[in-house]
Amino acid sequence: MSTRHSTYALAGLLVAAVTTGCGGAVTTAANDKADGVYTQLAGLPKDQQRARAEELAKQEGGTLSLYTSMTADIATPIAQAFEKKYGIRVSVFRGNSETVLQRTLQEAQAGKAGADVVETNFLEMSALSDNGVLAQFNGSALDKVDPTGKFEHWTASRLNVFQPAWNTDLIKPADEPHSWEDLALPKYKGKLTLEVSDSDWFENVTKYWLDHGKSQAEVDKLWKDIVGNAKVAKGHTTMMQFLTAGQTPMEAMNYTYITVRAAQQGAPVTHLPSSGVSKIPAFARPNGVAMVKGAQHPATAWLFYDWLLTDGQKELVELGLTPSTKVPGDKSLDGLTLAPFDVEGLSKDHGEWDKKYDALLRGAATVGE
Amino acid sequence: MTLVPTTASRDDSPEPRSDAVTGPAEAGGPGRLARLLRRPLSLQGLLVGGAVVIVGYLAVVPLGYLIHDTFLSADGTGVSLDAFSRAYGGNSQSREMLLNSLWFALGSAALALVLGTVLAYIQVRTDTPFKGLFFAASLVPLIVPGILYATSWIFLGDPSSGILNSLVFQPLFGTSPVNIYSVWGMIWVQGLHLAPVAFLLMVAAFRAMDPSLEESAAMSGANRLTVLRRVTMPLLRPAMISAALLMFVQSLESFEVPGLLGLQNGIYVFTSRIYFVLRAYPVDYGAAGAYAIGLLLIAAAGVLLSSWLRRSSRNFQTVTGKAFRPRPVELGRARPFVGAGVILYFLITVVLPVAVLVYASLLKYYAAPSRKTLSEMTLANYRTVFEMPLAFTALKNSLIVGIGAATAVMILTAIVSWVVLRTKAPGRRLLDLLAFTPIVIPGLVLGLALSFVYLRMPLPIYGTLLILLVSYCTRYLPYGMQYSSAAMTQMSPELEESAHVSGASWFQTFRRVLLPLMSGGILAGWVYILVVSFRELSSTILLYSPGKEVLSVLIWEQFENGQFTTLAALGVCMVLLLVLLVSIAYRLGARFGLQNDSAN
Repeated sequence: MSTRHSTYALAGLLVAAVTTGCGGAVTTAANDKADGVYTQLAGLPKDQQRARAEELAKQEGGTLSLYTSMTADIATPIAQAFEKKYGIRVSVFRGNSETVLQRTLQEAQAGKAGADVVETNFLEMSALSDNGVLAQFNGSALDKVDPTGKFEHWTASRLNVFQPAWNTDLIKPADEPHSWEDLALPKYKGKLTLEVSDSDWFENVTKYWLDHGKSQAEVDKLWKDIVGNAKVAKGHTTMMQFLTAGQTPMEAMNYTYITVRAAQQGAPVTHLPSSGVSKIPAFARPNGVAMVKGAQHPATAWLFYDWLLTDGQKELVELGLTPSTKVPGDKSLDGLTLAPFDVEGLSKDHGEWDKKYDALLRGAATVGE
Repeated sequence: MTLVPTTASRDDSPEPRSDAVTGPAEAGGPGRLARLLRRPLSLQGLLVGGAVVIVGYLAVVPLGYLIHDTFLSADGTGVSLDAFSRAYGGNSQSREMLLNSLWFALGSAALALVLGTVLAYIQVRTDTPFKGLFFAASLVPLIVPGILYATSWIFLGDPSSGILNSLVFQPLFGTSPVNIYSVWGMIWVQGLHLAPVAFLLMVAAFRAMDPSLEESAAMSGANRLTVLRRVTMPLLRPAMISAALLMFVQSLESFEVPGLLGLQNGIYVFTSRIYFVLRAYPVDYGAAGAYAIGLLLIAAAGVLLSSWLRRSSRNFQTVTGKAFRPRPVELGRARPFVGAGVILYFLITVVLPVAVLVYASLLKYYAAPSRKTLSEMTLANYRTVFEMPLAFTALKNSLIVGIGAATAVMILTAIVSWVVLRTKAPGRRLLDLLAFTPIVIPGLVLGLALSFVYLRMPLPIYGTLLILLVSYCTRYLPYGMQYSSAAMTQMSPELEESAHVSGASWFQTFRRVLLPLMSGGILAGWVYILVVSFRELSSTILLYSPGKEVLSVLIWEQFENGQFTTLAALGVCMVLLLVLLVSIAYRLGARFGLQNDSAN
């Protein structure tokens, strides 16, 4: 390279470095204002909080910005129900959970919070909480939530339940799986589908097996056999598409609500054996809600948080989801054997489980041949 | 590479950039650019300087972000190469991944190039029947979003239940030979999806080619094959090289086909690795960047190779001062066979996948065709599409951003390709290379880079449609460059020189001579960018704002909802709409004196 060319390259990199490097702590007046509202609401007696929040929400202009990874067919009716109750317009940013996390973090780092409330998956909520982006909520709505659903800065609003799913035209009652171990059986060779991002399921099943007397070697063998039986797909809803079409006979794991919704459309799929009762430990992953620090509409955010854990829970049930509180008429857990979701193991070193699962799946290429 | 300055001088002022872009050019001694920039405040000086600065800026922002994240060590204090060992070392099976990627990309590019060139030749230079079909064949695969196109092929080519196997091969031959989940299947789908890129570029090239050269060869006794091999092909080399490079790199960075078809049997490529890295938390941006830089190196090698192949470009300039009209080759007895081939191609690339989409769009949930599914067909999905509250807003926004990006990119790249190809400005190769880099930046990284920059800028760009416009301009810059340079390479500088001698200013020459003659290539690039911008998702999903949705966001939402059938209905509507839109564009182009097929 001639000197001139290097100067050119160097200058380009300089600009890049400057533009990327000039971030850092930006605190703004909006931040302080929002935090003031949060503190004020938190300091009130519990029975006065909601009324005061409604009052302040009116002053905030009657709009709310929600970032969520709920699919549109759920997010839209939820937003409408909230609008109906309070007359507050909800603008919804929908993305997958990673996008919601990235966008919220980017905006927080620039000191320009775009979201008032965030509602997304366990892992991303924990990450937001760890990064100090979320504000504390202490309303009376928390009383109904099980202690396992309460986290630092956020609260479970709904649960995604892990179960296998299969096409009833292709898997006859005699061939239904009755445990996670069954997935390793030779009869499922070539019939199973695994999802590329299910490392949280992988971690929970692994932990469950280790806790219930299996040795590491036995666990490794089981996974090797499961992967040997399986093909890999991307996206839980995509997988369900192929399952309903009869393209694949069985999924190692899908969220029960996705299976139920497909079955409601008339597709021949289920997650429950013909007996109606599944003995397969059902891990229920909490997805949650939180208020964002420095939000434009902090009091409105408080109202939505409160609503999603109270009236909103009924809406979730109507949409076929599993609520995080006890709601009369909720049938989403019928026939399931719940097992505790391993919050601790996943919060500790999640990156590791992702890598392990990734490596396990890539082994599929050699195991399968 | 120059790694040290990225971190060593983070506090420097942004001054050096303007130096970088114009400085060397001014110092460049005699040359057209220098002549032009000697009066930096003249209209042309501003135009050229501005275009170069904008293109440089668009390309440098995401690249800088990427390099910063990749080479900064974990503690944030120095430069380190750890990211590369995390990405390529250990049990990452990087050799396999590299081989898969190259095999997939080379195969797809080769297939698409052969298909696109043959079709373009038949379309422009022969008297083949069914010319109308080419238009659809060149557009539909581009329009159908990758996820839908790949999914259609899964329903067609699944080894056990695919329609092709179960309804065609099994009853007729008793075997199921089609397996879409193989590298060959991936190459097939990607190649068909890309063939329009080659077709659009090659059509423009064939039109701009003086057939008298071929005629002289024929007169001198060369047979048809020799003419093709010794005259036609060499003349088309610049366009073919552009097309091959573009499609090769595009296959390297595409994820839809490897994601839907490759993962099934554990066929991993660069982009599936990037996907894994980016979806984990905490996100290892370093490792993702290391993969992207791996892609960048391969792409840079491709750019250098292509400019080396184009080195004696004087030989390919076919647009000279001489008037010509390409005369169609009479196919004679071959005509029915060529016609049949055209129909077959049309059936495979357009009718089959679109038929699957139409079929799926009439169902409640997808199932292979049977008496039961056929009896239960309904238009409910179309009703859902038309009743979507956001459908109209999204369509409007997609049109604004798509047309805006296509127009901006083609204007910018027409000017910049002039700088790169016609001047001796130092650094022009680097500019060429720089304008090519966005093609390998993963969409999510581009999204992050843009939100990082514009969140910190006082201008109202973040949270508006403008940020999508910036993002699309960045993403499609490389494509615009290839279309523009292919068109520019074919043009002899003597035309500009005669205009200059006759007293035309630079701007007049550019506007009255260069642009009209390049218009075929420019329109092709414009159509390409418009169409693909309708389906851009990976950066859009991070950058859009509520109320500012575009169509690709709606498509993604339906996909996430698991409503493949509604999605299919939306896809069918999109195909109809864009075909209509593009035919209007071509009509308008024809009215404003654009070269078209009337000569045939």
